[in-house]
Amino acid sequence: MIFTLLAGNLTHGLLLGGVYGLATMGLSLIFGVINVVNVGHGQFIMVGAFVTLTMFTTLGLSPVVSIPVALILGMALGFFFFYTVMRRLIRAPELTSLLATFAMGILLEEIAKLIFGADFRGYNWGVGRITLPITTIPMSKVYAFIGSIVIALFLYFWFSKTRLGTAIRAVIEDNEGATVCGVNVGWIYALSFAIGIGLTVMSGVLLTMFIPVGINPYMGGGYTLKAFVIAVLGGLTSPYGAFFAGLIFGLIENGAYTLFALIPGVAPFPLTVSLAFWMLFFLLLVKPTGLLGK
Amino acid sequence: MNSMLSVENLESGYGPMQVLWKPSLEVKKGSITSLLGPNGVGKSTLLLTVLGSVEPWGGKIMYEDEEVTYLPTHKKVDLGLTLAPEGKHLFGGMNVHENLIMGAYRKEAGQNINDSLELVYSLFPILKERDRQGAGTLSGGQQQMLTIARALMTKPKLMMLDEPSQGLAPILVGEVFETIEKLQAEVGLTILLVEQNVEASLNAADYVYIMHEGQIKAEGTADEIKGSSDIREVYLGI
Repeated sequence: MIFTLLAGNLTHGLLLGGVYGLATMGLSLIFGVINVVNVGHGQFIMVGAFVTLTMFTTLGLSPVVSIPVALILGMALGFFFFYTVMRRLIRAPELTSLLATFAMGILLEEIAKLIFGADFRGYNWGVGRITLPITTIPMSKVYAFIGSIVIALFLYFWFSKTRLGTAIRAVIEDNEGATVCGVNVGWIYALSFAIGIGLTVMSGVLLTMFIPVGINPYMGGGYTLKAFVIAVLGGLTSPYGAFFAGLIFGLIENGAYTLFALIPGVAPFPLTVSLAFWMLFFLLLVKPTGLLGK
Repeated sequence: MNSMLSVENLESGYGPMQVLWKPSLEVKKGSITSLLGPNGVGKSTLLLTVLGSVEPWGGKIMYEDEEVTYLPTHKKVDLGLTLAPEGKHLFGGMNVHENLIMGAYRKEAGQNINDSLELVYSLFPILKERDRQGAGTLSGGQQQMLTIARALMTKPKLMMLDEPSQGLAPILVGEVFETIEKLQAEVGLTILLVEQNVEASLNAADYVYIMHEGQIKAEGTADEIKGSSDIREVYLGI
């Protein structure tokens, strides 16, 4: 009985973990290329969620259509914030870029509140459910998982096989080395920031499949924290490491929730929320380069 | 006429700190020109400013009779100007082959990539043997070869080399200087060389500039510098 429950929740955790992974790839990419920790990361996930909600409820468009829209909007936001703010902060002290990205997050939250209000909202993408021996899963979650795998694989091949993707890897490895090869490093910074934000907004689309009534201007903060933990778990500068770490995090989170719920007198949800902090703490203590890091 | 690079009254630095105080120098086509001087006098900064990764504050940089002072680095690489930087700056997570491919990143270099690879592998056979090995796992000497090879992949006319023999065993230092002379004689490159190894540089160079405190203090053919005891004592300490 308990094993069925655990296996069922782990399945949900794995599906959500795929989206966590995708949601963290952008954070890792931006940190790897321009060495900036995007404290406003979760707010870009929120933008993706509102894109999906709006397109679904007012235009009647499926979340599948929202994926490319989110990518394009996210990249546009990325270029906008890069050329207005981030470009000046690349060699600035960390605190400056932390404050700037924090401010970007607040700006996005307040704009979202002006447009959509502060209520919790959601939508129902009726694509049925699948019943397994261990649990029943809405198909929307399965599609979200498949979507994140496809996007992550596409990114993997783009990074390893294309000229521009290789140039981004070269800048992550050694930007002076890339400069002497004739890479326009300033453009790679802008492009990587835009791709990073695009990925993040896109992950917000997929995340809506897991939060039936959780779309809200202030939903982002919690995901920023989780993304930090996942990024550290994955070795910080590796987008693929981040993806696998997302899968692991999803499994641990849902598995732990199931086990916490068995302890009498314990509220499992708050305990699970605090789990990310504990994981970060122990990880930094034991293996600060990340489980998948060198 | 036969000037490859000429630098006039160049000024640059980092933040509020000025490093270059109007040095001027000229590199003739087909020559090995050596820039000597103690540590911290601005030799590397001069190379980085010529390449454009450190922004010039003033002065003028002419390359093949064209002003390129404020041209972005990637456009200078297009024109055939490149640097094998100090500290190598290889892509340690990529293999030898991928590092070389990155060298041919610019469109024009990419079109002749097979010719360039053939040239590089004939100059450095060891790199061909190790072409799937991670650059980070090569020995110091092999990494230095790869740094020069990667710069060669950009199809340069002028190659600037910053401390190519740094940290190498004496036998390998000899190899590096042989390579540099080959680049001049066989590949037809013009070389601007920054080195700590004064003896070897004087033997390899056609023309020599002595730099001190961000300025050029003396210049001459290698023989003139070798013969001048003042210059040797004051600026080179030998």
